[in-house]
Amino acid sequence: MPQHLGLYVRRESALHGLDPRAKMLAVTGFIVAVLLAPMHPSWPMGALLLLLVCATALARIPARMMCRRMLSLVVVIGMPFLLSRLGGEATRAAGEQFAARSLLVAAAFLVLMASTRAIVLLEVAERPPLISVFGQLGEFILRGADLLAEEVMRTNRAWALRAPTATIRVRLAGLTQASMSLISRAAARSERIGAAMVLRGFQGKLPTATPTPLPWSHLVAGLIFALISLGIAGVGRWR
Amino acid sequence: MVARASGRDALSRARELALAGLMGALGLLLPIGFHALGWGGQVFLPMHLPVVVAGFLVSPAMAVSLGVVVPFLSSVLTGMPPLASPIAPLMALELAAKAGVASLLYRSLRAPMWLALPVAIVADWAVLALAVSLAAGFFAIRAAPFQYAWAAILIGLPGTILQLVAVPAAVLAIERRVPRLRPTKRDETG
Repeated sequence: MPQHLGLYVRRESALHGLDPRAKMLAVTGFIVAVLLAPMHPSWPMGALLLLLVCATALARIPARMMCRRMLSLVVVIGMPFLLSRLGGEATRAAGEQFAARSLLVAAAFLVLMASTRAIVLLEVAERPPLISVFGQLGEFILRGADLLAEEVMRTNRAWALRAPTATIRVRLAGLTQASMSLISRAAARSERIGAAMVLRGFQGKLPTATPTPLPWSHLVAGLIFALISLGIAGVGRWR
Repeated sequence: MVARASGRDALSRARELALAGLMGALGLLLPIGFHALGWGGQVFLPMHLPVVVAGFLVSPAMAVSLGVVVPFLSSVLTGMPPLASPIAPLMALELAAKAGVASLLYRSLRAPMWLALPVAIVADWAVLALAVSLAAGFFAIRAAPFQYAWAAILIGLPGTILQLVAVPAAVLAIERRVPRLRPTKRDETG
């Protein structure tokens, strides 16, 4: 199982080399721009999409991979969008807004996660005092997700070998039992992990990596991307 | 004495972080599984299950933190729930309220589970209605706030029933496997 749910795409690109803090700044600016950009006229949304396509190309992330990852959002975003088509003018407009904004923001995060290791982003979030507990918890969740995803895949392989022709009823019963077992084993495992952490010197707070200075060139690159995004949204909204 | 107490605190915090982390991990993975099977996340509320289970097993502060972190982390990692709509922030408030109230009632006030779980679910609905009414002005929620909240509650009814069945079963199974996590047992030992 690839690390961190297999989201990171290993490439030698300008975007991969950019400091994660600069990338977070750029993505934040992009999200604010997506929220501000009007739906009519539609060119600001189109321009923001084009900007994102350029960033994807710069990160050398294959378009096919991006499309495949976006497909998983079809049910989540597509269903409410389709339901909104049944309503009146206002409902349809809200549905369009929901779909366009959600897809653009999700695509921005997919590019961010494909070009940055998730654990590095969470390490950045561990430093500010107010949100450090969220960063720590996020790091645990990510490591736990890798652990459990590996276990699920092993169980799946075992099922495929042992019961390749099992009926749906048997499979569902097995799925329920396996899920319950996974939850209770996860709790038992946390006892061992906690004891191991204390043995390694855990004092109630996780050690954080020493902060490195953010290079000026990286900061400027992140700022430029954020400002271009905000500029597009601003011109579209107030022109 | 102080050193021993702080060591015990560190162990308890480490166990709690690890447990919350693993339950949060399930909160990320279960919705991916549900969506892969084509079962609607808004109907079965798969993210709620492990977070509410965690609410019964960890302290209120950790339960609230977990409720806030899981939807945002899932949104950043997988795009679900959508962040911009603003479904992820509303879910964060809902989960924080549900897990926090469950933990407060079950672990701090020693209320029985049959009382703590329904009260936590009602608290979730109340927070959702309040948050939607506050957010309606800021975001493009065109429906009346209480209509929106009512629709969300009705659509998620199968998920709520699933929680009423699966959460007590999971919590009891975990407490059988790890007796330290039982609130009364924990009081006796520490």
